[in-house]
Amino acid sequence: MARGTSPLETMPVSRFARQTRWSLIVLTGAMLAFLYLPIAFLILFSFEDAATPGLPITGLTLHWYQVLASDSAIQSALLTSIEVAVVVTIIASIVGTMVAFPLVRRGVRAPGLLRLGFTLPIMIPGFLIGIGLLIFFRQGLHPLIDVQLGLYTVVAGHLVFTIPFVVLIVASRLQGFDRRLEWAAADLGAGPWRTLRHIVLPLIAPAILAGALLCVTLSIDEFVITFFLIGPQQTLPLYIYTQIKFGVTPEVNAIATVILLVSLLAVTLGSILLTSSRRLRRRRAE
Amino acid sequence: MVTNQPWPGRPADSDLAEPVPAIELRHATKRYGEAVALDDVSMVIQPGEFFCLLGPSGCGKTTTLNLIGGFIPLTSGDLLIEGHTVNDLPPHKRNVNTVFQSYALFPHMTVAENVAFGLRMEKLSKADIAQRTREYLELVGLSGLAGRLPAQMSGGQQQRVALARALAKRPAVLLLDEPLGALDLKLRKQMQTELARIHRQVGTTFVFVTHDQEEALSMATQIAIMSNGTVLQQGSPREVYDRPANRFVADFVGDTNFLAGTVRRDGGQAVFDVGSAVVDVQGDAEAGPATLMIRPEFLALRQGDATDGPRGLTARVVNVAFLGNHTRITVSTAAGEMVVVRPHGTRDSTADTQRELGEEVCVWWRTENAALIRE
Repeated sequence: MARGTSPLETMPVSRFARQTRWSLIVLTGAMLAFLYLPIAFLILFSFEDAATPGLPITGLTLHWYQVLASDSAIQSALLTSIEVAVVVTIIASIVGTMVAFPLVRRGVRAPGLLRLGFTLPIMIPGFLIGIGLLIFFRQGLHPLIDVQLGLYTVVAGHLVFTIPFVVLIVASRLQGFDRRLEWAAADLGAGPWRTLRHIVLPLIAPAILAGALLCVTLSIDEFVITFFLIGPQQTLPLYIYTQIKFGVTPEVNAIATVILLVSLLAVTLGSILLTSSRRLRRRRAE
Repeated sequence: MVTNQPWPGRPADSDLAEPVPAIELRHATKRYGEAVALDDVSMVIQPGEFFCLLGPSGCGKTTTLNLIGGFIPLTSGDLLIEGHTVNDLPPHKRNVNTVFQSYALFPHMTVAENVAFGLRMEKLSKADIAQRTREYLELVGLSGLAGRLPAQMSGGQQQRVALARALAKRPAVLLLDEPLGALDLKLRKQMQTELARIHRQVGTTFVFVTHDQEEALSMATQIAIMSNGTVLQQGSPREVYDRPANRFVADFVGDTNFLAGTVRRDGGQAVFDVGSAVVDVQGDAEAGPATLMIRPEFLALRQGDATDGPRGLTARVVNVAFLGNHTRITVSTAAGEMVVVRPHGTRDSTADTQRELGEEVCVWWRTENAALIRE
């Protein structure tokens, strides 16, 4: 409201403009509460003293974090999740970046169709990807090789929906890339490879990094596809799911809080990198 | 300091009977599908020249520059740089460098890194790179700003960085694509002087693209005027201004008055019929329809009618515009309106400038200052 000094915003449209504005503010507050209150409770209960969390809070403790630190089952599940996430991120970042180039630079016949093909998996429900891959690995490939379900199949499943995100992010960065810079690099004696290394990659690096961070978050969070494709191992979301069946202990709240913080950190870092690079681009355009 | 000594690899002019042209185009043609951007152009640019490609937008001047830079391939014909055919040589292997219209500075590198980039690609030693970067930043007057990012600099400063970056490679030819287009008028004038100085100092061949005739006239040693993918005329600024090859050139370079009429032999003397009036033209002119071209500054006004003294046209003053260092007088004659420009500060012109609107005068000129153009 304080910044609403432009005549466009203060133009008296309706006699109830003031009331409308106030009720919109209240509605916005209610929606934000709906989005974030559950998470706030999750974090709050991770510090709850009692074994069965509930209101009112009986006392604050770091006990559940200590339990977490000595629980080897949950730690190995976390480790598995990280392993998968790292492999997925590396492959998805490289493949996604490579795919983005021909899509943006008209190196292919039908870039629009191909772009759709590469980004559609985002819109396919996870359980369809899971079932589809399961059938493909167990039945489709069976006559050729006997694929054992395990972390490899989970990685494959995660790649299906993470690569499109990298493609989208890197492609949008490439879209705004001033190709005159490549002319300038060639003009100054840089061949195609050195132009890529010294000019193009450094300039699209923020986008690749943002894509990679998103991959980490998506992969660690993933449940449905993993559920279909995993072997004897357990990733963290799967482990928590199995634990919850025996009742929610505050330990789960503690691990959820840790994951939440790490995810938030990764996403914030990614968006900061993206906006700072965008700001740089804008400044150049001025 | 940069001197104009030839660097290794470039033969000294004295070694050769005839200097090898810096750039030579032989029947160069560039087509985009049906559209012809450059139509069978042949052109020779001598080393050390400040060569200006001048023309309206879409005339093929930037296409020519991009062809020389190697960014677009020729459809047919040949391109020679220092006597070597380079038709299929990619840009990074050509001994020419470009100052782009948008400067195309690398936004993630500092000013010094931008200038050093081309030298790094040449795999020069660290000490050489540092030394040469310093040298060329000094040449363009940016020594103190080596650590800045391009985004932190003004347009004029970015322009200088682009210039230093291209010159640091010590190319055989420096290509400049409307580099002053984005600058405001005052800065543009300043950079024109600056560019001319730098050209004299480094002695490299400059090929400069512009649509601004004043810019071309003030800086170039040679001008090629282009239109519709062809070169209409090539010559020194004075040649192009004083003896334009056709109406387009006369019209594009400077302001001009055109009089359409017919050349007639009257005894041993050639005269020019303009409507009902007759004026003198230079003696060797052939008979036939033609256009007479006179620059506004060669026109003079005098009192009285057209038959008294050298022959001229009867005219009426329709507008007088005082522009500080000169006055622009528009007169209406039977052959159409003519523009007369009289400078201040010369004794013979002061009388002319005090003209009343509607006054009847005679507009006249010296025969040798008018040029005949045949279409």
